[in-house]
Amino acid sequence: MSPQAKRQENKILILATETCAYPGADSVGQAHSTYPANTYILRVRAPVLFPESFYFDCFRKGISGIIVMSCGEECPYDGAYKALAKRLDAVYKKMKAMEIDLKRLRLTAICTVCNRAFLKEVNQMDQLVRELGPPQLEA
Amino acid sequence: MSENNKKVGVYICYCGGNISDHVDVEEVRNRVEKMPGVTVARTNMFMCSDPGQEMIIEDLKSDKIDRVVVASCAPSLHEATFRGAIERAGSNPFIYDHANIREQVSWVHHGETATDKATLLIAAASAKSKLLKPLEPIRVEAKKHTTVIGGGIAGIKTALDIAQKGIEVALIEKLPILGGRLNSLDRLAPFGEKASDILKELLDPVLNHNAITIHTDSKIETIKGYVGNFSLIVTKKENNKDIKLNIETGAIVMATGSVSYTPLNGEFGFGQHEQVITLQDLITLLKENKSSGSSLEVNGKRIKNMVMIHCVGSRQIPGIHQPKENGQLNEYCSRTCCAALLNAANQIREKFPETGIYEMYRDIRTYGRGQEELYEQASKNKVVFMRYEADAPPVVSESNHSEYPLKVKITDSLTFNEVMDVPADLVVLATGIEPDNVSDIASMMKLPIGTDQFLLEVHPKLRPVEFSITGIFLGGTCQAPMDTGETCNAAGAAAVKASALLSKGYIELDPFVAEVNTDKCQGHGACIEACLKEGALTLTEVKIDGKIVKKAQVTAAMCLGCGACAAVCPKKAIDINGWALKQYEDMVDAIVSDGFAV
Repeated sequence: MSPQAKRQENKILILATETCAYPGADSVGQAHSTYPANTYILRVRAPVLFPESFYFDCFRKGISGIIVMSCGEECPYDGAYKALAKRLDAVYKKMKAMEIDLKRLRLTAICTVCNRAFLKEVNQMDQLVRELGPPQLEA
Repeated sequence: MSENNKKVGVYICYCGGNISDHVDVEEVRNRVEKMPGVTVARTNMFMCSDPGQEMIIEDLKSDKIDRVVVASCAPSLHEATFRGAIERAGSNPFIYDHANIREQVSWVHHGETATDKATLLIAAASAKSKLLKPLEPIRVEAKKHTTVIGGGIAGIKTALDIAQKGIEVALIEKLPILGGRLNSLDRLAPFGEKASDILKELLDPVLNHNAITIHTDSKIETIKGYVGNFSLIVTKKENNKDIKLNIETGAIVMATGSVSYTPLNGEFGFGQHEQVITLQDLITLLKENKSSGSSLEVNGKRIKNMVMIHCVGSRQIPGIHQPKENGQLNEYCSRTCCAALLNAANQIREKFPETGIYEMYRDIRTYGRGQEELYEQASKNKVVFMRYEADAPPVVSESNHSEYPLKVKITDSLTFNEVMDVPADLVVLATGIEPDNVSDIASMMKLPIGTDQFLLEVHPKLRPVEFSITGIFLGGTCQAPMDTGETCNAAGAAAVKASALLSKGYIELDPFVAEVNTDKCQGHGACIEACLKEGALTLTEVKIDGKIVKKAQVTAAMCLGCGACAAVCPKKAIDINGWALKQYEDMVDAIVSDGFAV
């Protein structure tokens, strides 16, 4: 890995739904709009797949920020968004107890052409993780 | 075989410079080659070209690799291409994963960081691919029969198109007659055909088609089952008796249509002055009108001045417009009312030149073919246009003028906010479109409803007439405001999708569904509670070593593949094939370890 990559310690994980946010990120690419490169987008069917432990494991492994880019209320899986929101509430409660800055985890809805919203989210998270650095959690 | 024994082949595309101008593709190849599990790493100017695909096929055939990662453009473009290449090599197409290094790397990042990020995305895809396993499409027998719910123009057109493909159709309508809202329309915008002629043209063949069974006056009681094998119970009124029908069907099309917005009491004087009517009322008047003079007559009274107000019940703004009792605001544009109102205005001005018309609008949205001409024609017909802002709507009140019962006060932004009182003897409100309330049917089938209360397709552009539940489609104004032409388009698309699905008599479904590891499953049932699709997961009793134990069981054809179950299993005994939680954990490991996680 290059020295430059080593400096990029503040990695942001983006869980992007395959019907909305992932093509949304592609749309940002098609527009050639640049954004911070410390962002790693994983294509997911529905983020309801991830248990609470997944988020804490990510923080423990050294991920500095996580953005869940869902389809929001427009979720094609009826009931999945509600279940996801409920789960993230529980995650936030635990984050608070563990004194992890709640802003490190962000739930947002990004559509297939929401370029501006996508850029705003990643830039905000990038700024945040630059300020905070990686979370200090015991492995 | 464990994930550590997998032989991953990585194929990195230059995309003719699209990728290689920003990503040092050969450097990525050098790094990837050293990653654990990667046995082959190759590059090509265009991986999607025949020589590019041939590289993958050769490596698979010579057993150098048993997992494939292609790093190129967005997976939506060439996922099918590479799966096809793998199949041609005699391998299972599901041993493949994709790294998106064009749209999500080279087009948005530059220089060293682009090269580094491309490396990590490939590392993640490679980690995921090691846990991929060969999958077989799920094959389900399918009845060559479709049920269309809703007998308006969308339902009629869908039913006819499907029947013409040789598939039987049950057409279910809650009212005693077919035709829906077209029954109450007159000349259709923008080209002026008679709604009754259009209906007749479609209804005659529908009524006479052997493959179509029509059930009017019918209500859906229950819907169960899955693609290819749905069963419905329908109550049909016949001779004042309720008859219960069982319908076994392979696919369902929602064509439940819409209703016209009813203004609130007092909204623009509606309900308070009898001279305030809706656009629908005006159309009915025009349809039945026998006035022969140079002025339109309504209830025996000559109409000298008519005011038409646009955007009533559409484009409502929180804080400005009053929501309905259920709190709903229609924030969308109903799309059809501008053209319909202009169409009516032109008819009136051309037939009754003594009836003056004032159109008060927020924006004119004559978006479709032939519609702008209606607007131009209205100007030529001397319709007077006045423009209001959403927060300063026209006010309708009683007039003390002897000749006009009403006056409409408007702050006209076309004349620099001049305030004017327009005398009127008829006020027409361009009421918008609202979806018919089908929440009971939607909840039976777990169909998503958008925040605007219309039924919600999987994707407005890529999969516009499908629900995420395979075998259920939608078309027409149950989905969004549409005019008759657009409705017929959508209905035709839904019909083609349903016909194509059922044409073979069996259906092959994506294998990305939940799978239970029966060794690990302890029968807790948490997955069943979390499951979003009733019936997709059940607890079944099985006998193991002479003891009866409970195990979760997936009905693959019903599973949505969302993963709600995988998140809650305390034993991690259930996961989604092709999109497993463990794969995501490994991808994160690859990302944080800069690609060298084993």
